[in-house]
Amino acid sequence: MMNLKRSFALLASVFILNSAVAQQQRMVDFVGGARSIMTNNQLLVRDSLADTSTVKRNTGGYALIDLGVNIRPNSTTEILGTFRIRNNYGGFWGAGVTVDVRELWLKGIIGNIVRYQVGDLNLKQTPFTFYNHHADRFDSLPSIFSLQNDIVRYEHFYSNNTWRSQGANVNFGFSFSRGLEEINFNAYTTRLKASNFSTIPDRLFSGATVNVVQSNHFEINYNLATVFDVKGTATATNNFHNTVNTFNTSYGATIGAFDWKISGEAGESNYAYSEAPDTADLIDYFIYVKGEINWKAKHLSINGGYLNVGPDFRSIGAQSKDVNYSALTNYYERYTNSQSLRPYSLYDLLNNDAIYNTEISTETAHIDASVNNVMPYGIATFNRVGGFVGLNYSHPNGFYITATHFKLNEIRGQGTTSLKDFTSTELNACVEVNKFLNLKNTIKVQGGSTYMTSVRIGNISLEDVDLKTTKHQVGAEVEVSKGLDLLFGIVSLSSKGNEFIAERNIYTVADYFNKVEYKLNQSFTAYGIRYRFDSKIYICGLFQHTKYADGFHTNVDYAVDQFSLIYNMTF
Amino acid sequence: MKKYFFLVFITLSLTACRKEKDTYEGVSIQELYSDFLLLDNFKVDKDSVDFANGENATFSAKFNKPVNWTITITGQTSKARKIITGQSKTIDISNGKWNGSTTDFPMFTKEHCVALLKIENVVDSFTVSTNIKTLKVNPGFVIADFENGFNPAWTKFVQSGANMDFNIKSDSLCPQGAKYLKMAGTVNWDYLIGLIDFPATAYGTAKTFPLNTNPDNVYFNCLIYGVPNTNESIILFQFKEDEDGNGTYNNATTDDQYDYQITVNWSGWKLISIKYSDLVSLSNGQPTTPHGNSIHNPNKLAKISMLHLANPSNGFASSKLDYIIFTDAPLEP
Repeated sequence: MMNLKRSFALLASVFILNSAVAQQQRMVDFVGGARSIMTNNQLLVRDSLADTSTVKRNTGGYALIDLGVNIRPNSTTEILGTFRIRNNYGGFWGAGVTVDVRELWLKGIIGNIVRYQVGDLNLKQTPFTFYNHHADRFDSLPSIFSLQNDIVRYEHFYSNNTWRSQGANVNFGFSFSRGLEEINFNAYTTRLKASNFSTIPDRLFSGATVNVVQSNHFEINYNLATVFDVKGTATATNNFHNTVNTFNTSYGATIGAFDWKISGEAGESNYAYSEAPDTADLIDYFIYVKGEINWKAKHLSINGGYLNVGPDFRSIGAQSKDVNYSALTNYYERYTNSQSLRPYSLYDLLNNDAIYNTEISTETAHIDASVNNVMPYGIATFNRVGGFVGLNYSHPNGFYITATHFKLNEIRGQGTTSLKDFTSTELNACVEVNKFLNLKNTIKVQGGSTYMTSVRIGNISLEDVDLKTTKHQVGAEVEVSKGLDLLFGIVSLSSKGNEFIAERNIYTVADYFNKVEYKLNQSFTAYGIRYRFDSKIYICGLFQHTKYADGFHTNVDYAVDQFSLIYNMTF
Repeated sequence: MKKYFFLVFITLSLTACRKEKDTYEGVSIQELYSDFLLLDNFKVDKDSVDFANGENATFSAKFNKPVNWTITITGQTSKARKIITGQSKTIDISNGKWNGSTTDFPMFTKEHCVALLKIENVVDSFTVSTNIKTLKVNPGFVIADFENGFNPAWTKFVQSGANMDFNIKSDSLCPQGAKYLKMAGTVNWDYLIGLIDFPATAYGTAKTFPLNTNPDNVYFNCLIYGVPNTNESIILFQFKEDEDGNGTYNNATTDDQYDYQITVNWSGWKLISIKYSDLVSLSNGQPTTPHGNSIHNPNKLAKISMLHLANPSNGFASSKLDYIIFTDAPLEP
């Protein structure tokens, strides 16, 4: 309660400060958002014996406000502090109320040349150095699923493939009148882990990019991303480092009716512990090349490329996963009479922020082969070589289509000299029917499919792998009157076949292969009605039904029904 | 620009064929999922082990594939158990060494021991036996193992409640040596059931315990027994430092007191270990600031008080205590 009182006192002071200065110059702004979610849930367990141990129904929810105070004490400095006040429904008289600092940063310009930011940072570099790939995310998700998925992304600061970090970032550049257009420098350093003064040293993540722009057509960058332990910050002496050096470049031109562009990135990595065995000292390289041709008149672009990421290429900034498959779901966490852990489902993947990471990890993140076995760490997935093609069609009358196809294989076998072949084919489309029919109210239909295969013909049949994963999503959004939308969507995921999942030690070296077999069918259906007060405020009622079925009965089948009422605003 | 394309072409040509067809990562799947075979029998390198003089017993075996294995060594007289686990193709000195320590109490005595090797997903198990010639020695400063009864320089206070028992016992429950302290009773007006003060002067003429000056290198350890189906006991250790060296601990003004409160919510014997620098000062169970220099000085420790507490509204509470010892690393009994 004391913290709560202090926070209110602080906020009151800031309001007074704002009022005082408002007459002269607007130096303090308030930004943020507010949200309220109420849910009513029911679990259905399809066990051979009725599950009498699990409480099947529950209601819950919370209300929260994120109040950001944006202060500009002078023309070159800006400060943002965001406080979060959250109250779980059922908490009253202060019980269940939490007050946190959600965000804090300071940025400015030194000498009109160097821009800096300290505190919380949203950082990314290139897809092979520091990048949040969201590799298991469903692309082109129907609008109805975006409502809660956007909340997960907001909660974990996922925006434009960035990772949330704490540290400092500086950048500056020079312009030239001939030869080169400009050279830009960007550097950052963040702390991944704080020392416990004995076994864990301070672990920092630093990086830099030098961007040389020759013209609008050609530019080249040097990128460095390095994670390292600071010697002497702990009594333990087994220090870690992972250094990635890359060059990326792009060249573009217009020839006739076509804009074409070729881009690529190549580099090497070094991943080692100072006292680890030699086998754990991993050095490797990667090459990525992509060509694109854009036929503007026909609203069509095609692309193709080549990818070669070595089996020992390690870049923890690019190979950390947003989904933590080892995390507890915190939502019907246990079920059945034996109170076994509930396996996560499509509901958790799309809606449950408990299984998502905010920070990157220095160990190889667990993957779920049933969701994505082809490129579980995005295009930075190690041990992949092959090519890809893609197509984008975007008609001004509201018809969009994207298609990609990857054909990859392993470079080094996993537990056998036989190599796996991978394919991934994805097709997404969206039709804005109102634009075709020249209607005022929005009518949008979305759909997409992904088909992934992993195949290995082993030296003996025991080594064979044959895994197929299929994802489908369909949805619609109909504006029945101004601001009032009807929403519908269904997503399905099925995985059939077998795979050997590598268990990797702390040095990311495989020391065991777990044989897994899948016969999973999952679906997630949602219906909703939403009223948009304006572009930043809406209220929505949603009914969602999740179904999880395991044909091998390794896990007991279940379904979850959820009704939720969501009020969301940003300001 | 031609050079640019040429460079890309050369790079692709050099790397496109990268495939490591003759090597693979990790253990062989063929081997991993083949039938289990014991290639070298399960053995122990000594018939009789002199742990007191630093000897170890080393177990060995070799399998045709990596397996999850467990060796359970059981004392045939004491029923003490030591459990060693691993995942490997071989058991050898790197992963199969036993220094005479115990996993499940009581601690081993000089006795005949049988080691049982079990492999995950394998029906057969394998046994070898050895004898303990001398017991493992735990270097450190023993505050109390109760083997010689109560030290007359200790101070004991026991409330006058019902069914009070604050005495040294000798029975089959003893985890170390032959004796331990039993603490039990009903005190329905106070948390305190009984206490014992262990002053440094009880161990010689020095005013403080002979401990290292670095609090990161001093560990406090003891064995505590939770009595099944009995109300929770709380055992509170108070570590009283004599900051000014006047021979007297003075909580009210100049001296530090650090505390370690243990809620006994388990059944059976359990090893408790804590680094001296991790001790905090408590007031009614809540962290507070000590009254001295607020620096952990184990070399200035003048007295340890052990209080056996219980919620008075709960009724009868009971627990047992043995082998209170300071070591320079967590005790491996």
